[in-house]
Amino acid sequence: MESRGTPPTHGLTSDELGTMVADRRTLDHLFSVTYEELRRLAASVRRDDPNASLSPTALVNEAWLKLASSPPFMMTSRLHFKRIAARAMRQVLIEAARRRGALKRGPDVVQVTFDEALQKGNSGADDLLALDAALEQLAQVSPRQATMVESRFFGGLDVAETAELLGVSEATILRDWRAAKAWLAQEMRP
Amino acid sequence: MASPGDAAIDTARWNQIQAAFHGAAELTADRRADFLRECCGDDRELLASVSAMLEEDERAGSLLDRDVAYLAEQVLGRTNSSLPPDRFGPYRLREVLGEGGMGVVYLAGRDDLGSVAAIKILRDAWLSPERRERFASEQRTLAQLNHPSIARLYDADTLGDGTPWFAMEYVEGSSLTSYCDEHALSIPERLRLFRSVCDAVQHAHQHLVVHRDLKPSNIMVTPEGAIKLLDFGIAKQLEHLGRTADQTRTGLRLMTPAYAAPEQITGSRVGVHTDVYALGVVLYELLTGRLPFELAGLTPGQVETAIVVQEPERPSTKARQSDTAPAASKTSWADLDVLCLTAMHKDPARRYKTVEALVRDIEHFLAGEPLEARPDAMGYRVGKFVRRNRVPVAAAAFTLAVVVGLVAFYTARVTRARNEAITEASRAQRIQRFTMNLFEGGDKEVGPADSMRVVTLLDRGLLEARTLGAEPAIQAELYETLGRIYQKLGALTRADTLLNAALDQRKKLFKAGSAEVTGSLNALGMLRADQARFEEAEQLVREALDGSRSSLPANHPVLAQATFGLGRVLQERGRYDSAIAVSAEAVRLYSASGAKPTPELAASLSQLADDHFYAGHYDASDSVNLLVLPMYRELYGQRHPLVAGIVINLGAAQYQRGKYAEAERLDREGLAIIEGFYGGEHHETAYALTMLARALIFQDKFTEGVPALQRALAIRERVFGPWHPAVASTVNELGNTAFKQGKLDEAERHFSRMVEIYRKVYGEKHYLFGIATSNLAGVYSERKDYPRAERMFRQAIALYTEAQGPEHLNTGIARIKLGRTLLREGRFAEAAQESLAGYDIVSKQSVPGVSWLKNARKDLAAAYDSLKQPDKAARFRDTTSGTR
Repeated sequence: MESRGTPPTHGLTSDELGTMVADRRTLDHLFSVTYEELRRLAASVRRDDPNASLSPTALVNEAWLKLASSPPFMMTSRLHFKRIAARAMRQVLIEAARRRGALKRGPDVVQVTFDEALQKGNSGADDLLALDAALEQLAQVSPRQATMVESRFFGGLDVAETAELLGVSEATILRDWRAAKAWLAQEMRP
Repeated sequence: MASPGDAAIDTARWNQIQAAFHGAAELTADRRADFLRECCGDDRELLASVSAMLEEDERAGSLLDRDVAYLAEQVLGRTNSSLPPDRFGPYRLREVLGEGGMGVVYLAGRDDLGSVAAIKILRDAWLSPERRERFASEQRTLAQLNHPSIARLYDADTLGDGTPWFAMEYVEGSSLTSYCDEHALSIPERLRLFRSVCDAVQHAHQHLVVHRDLKPSNIMVTPEGAIKLLDFGIAKQLEHLGRTADQTRTGLRLMTPAYAAPEQITGSRVGVHTDVYALGVVLYELLTGRLPFELAGLTPGQVETAIVVQEPERPSTKARQSDTAPAASKTSWADLDVLCLTAMHKDPARRYKTVEALVRDIEHFLAGEPLEARPDAMGYRVGKFVRRNRVPVAAAAFTLAVVVGLVAFYTARVTRARNEAITEASRAQRIQRFTMNLFEGGDKEVGPADSMRVVTLLDRGLLEARTLGAEPAIQAELYETLGRIYQKLGALTRADTLLNAALDQRKKLFKAGSAEVTGSLNALGMLRADQARFEEAEQLVREALDGSRSSLPANHPVLAQATFGLGRVLQERGRYDSAIAVSAEAVRLYSASGAKPTPELAASLSQLADDHFYAGHYDASDSVNLLVLPMYRELYGQRHPLVAGIVINLGAAQYQRGKYAEAERLDREGLAIIEGFYGGEHHETAYALTMLARALIFQDKFTEGVPALQRALAIRERVFGPWHPAVASTVNELGNTAFKQGKLDEAERHFSRMVEIYRKVYGEKHYLFGIATSNLAGVYSERKDYPRAERMFRQAIALYTEAQGPEHLNTGIARIKLGRTLLREGRFAEAAQESLAGYDIVSKQSVPGVSWLKNARKDLAAAYDSLKQPDKAARFRDTTSGTR
């Protein structure tokens, strides 16, 4: 399951996922499949076992186990999958946060909640939405750092993996991470 | 800190901020303030941002420092999100109308218009943002379908979290099949109603919308008797939701298998023809009260195989079995069969091209006019093909007989050893035969392209099986089924992988003597036989039988199959007496299944006939074959290759008896059937030509015999390439013929070529190489090149002794030949020794009247004469005078 191929070492923008993936449409398809799988996994965890963990890293790993051998992902390396999954996981969590009837923020429209009694314990949801918005801003000025944050935070990539993904040194990653984290944190403060 | 409404920063700014931040962060607290003042200057915003960042950096208490799992827990949570919203958009849910495979259907009211609608909300179907967009745009297209018989789609969208929903016209009524039954409609009435359905579908097709999920529950009839079709085009959007890794969730299995077209199962292109198929199935149900395939209790793998490969029973037959089906006249049923089966044809190209074409034929039928569809367009032989057992290869054995070596004054003898070359040739023949029968009604040859189509079809099925991720038992079942089909198509490597996988899994899941394990062992054994790995084959089949004798009832079909399989393997290994006993047992087991002959019974009888043949029991072989012949005629028709095979087998027995004119007559009959079936350029025809040529040549009818052989050779060279054993055996025939005619140079040429082919294909230790050598040696002997001939004969004898045993027929014959050469050289004592040794061996295995022995006796008499041993000479001379 590891290393289906060495990913390229040139720098990547947050839109580009490497030479393994042919075009936009394929990317979208991969993303869609991953997203749906993560949603499904998350939902199935909810229902079946109250003690099971909802750790996104675990979910991503499980999704990879399921999807790795299916046709759309034959040409994808594990690293690239994690990258896609990170983006998908972000989407999943943000939508879940929105569903909780969290605060309005900017132009985002809050969707009608599915569940009735969900007004308690919303800080996590609020935080996530705030992060999402801030991350969008960061992406405007430094796509690479936004990708980095997304991959590390939502996808659970470690420093080495992130460095490989983005084609930079680990020292650069650490440095950029520190700055991005600090900036995002202060952006998120109400 | 920034707040919403601040101007967004740009990249340059960001770099500035970072530079300042990193610079400051590296300093100790006291030096920082100065640094910042210097670096930010008047830029208050910059200072504020960087200060805030430094503070956060110190504190390390933000979201990003926490584990995201904690957050995920919070948002994803443990709540039940299975309650649907009370209202969304203009709709307010009132009550549950029903639940289907896809989701729940509610009755909803529309506050603004005061009307009602049916809302279908799809559970567990989360569309990603991209897909939501596509979904929405396609629904807009569907909403434009406007036809009185099509339920209007009012609206479609997704809820905030991606769950799709549809709002449709609310229809009250019953499903098409229930309505027809409740009102006890006659066939013409059903057809009229069905025609309205077709009109609606046709309308949608004209608007480029395909339904993809037509079935009676989607075809409603209102109390007033009007048709309403539901759920148009919905299946398309949701199709891909079912195609990700987790296929076992029933909610995502969108197709209703009973109505699914083969191309939907294999993932091929879906289109108008798919709706035609579904309409065919619905029509089938309307006419017979039953579905074309009995799928209850089958595993998904079996279901898929049934739909893709199995031939449905004709509606007329099915209706007869049910007492609830409406009645019709015999001629009507013939036409109804055509209507239904043409619509339901497995090959989309053979169905009605459009729904309109189907409607036209319905109208023809109702008006009592002839249909446009042809009856022979239906009737897919695939089902028969899958049931059919191995084609008897007795006919193939005669090529071997010829190979044994035909020298003018020796009669050909059938050797009992089976020949791997023959297996190879016959296997190639079988494969070609099967792939051809797969698509046509057997009336014309179909090229390799179509056999590849089937393999492609199956490959897709295989991919489905792999991604199924289903329970091991189901997977094992599917692997087994597919493995068997691959085997019949000759894709032996794929079959090997699959059957092995199936066996391994089944061994884990089931007990040793169970039907499943037994069946798998037998299947793998048969594959080994096809691969000419006979020792393994026998081991496997015996394991199957021994394991299951105590645990399965004696008449279990799997036992009968395994018995039949063992009979085959024994025959292949040359153990004819045992084979006879076992094949007879298989016949007994298959006879128990009823009065009507089945393909299995006929095949097992045919195998028994072959066993007798090889054992030299020609009369027994003939009597059994005469039982098989009418069975095959009834099962497959008069002009079928299997029938021809039996005819040729009868011819072979005549040949063995030396009745060449009779053999010629039968071979001609067989050739006519085969040539009519396969055409003049097919290797099966080459085969039948060779049989006929042999019989002709033995009557010295060279003018017809030789061209026939040459034609056969040309075909085989083309089909198999120049280095194939089948080519070698034809060349051998030509060599023998030339020899018979005294054309020694030509004979030498042919036999030399034969030697080269066998050397290349089998190596110099193989007995076939020995036969070729021996035949070539015969030419040298005739040319009086005795030393060379002697050397080659001795080489052949050594080879036979090693490969087949000192008592083998081939060894005996070669010694007789050597004896003759030595006699010609005047080495009488040695000649007598060899000829006698050969005579002893051969006479134990042949009737005395045969010319091997006749000529051996002649040689022995001559040798003993020369050795001045008159009494010995007399012993052999008396018998040569003609009487026994």
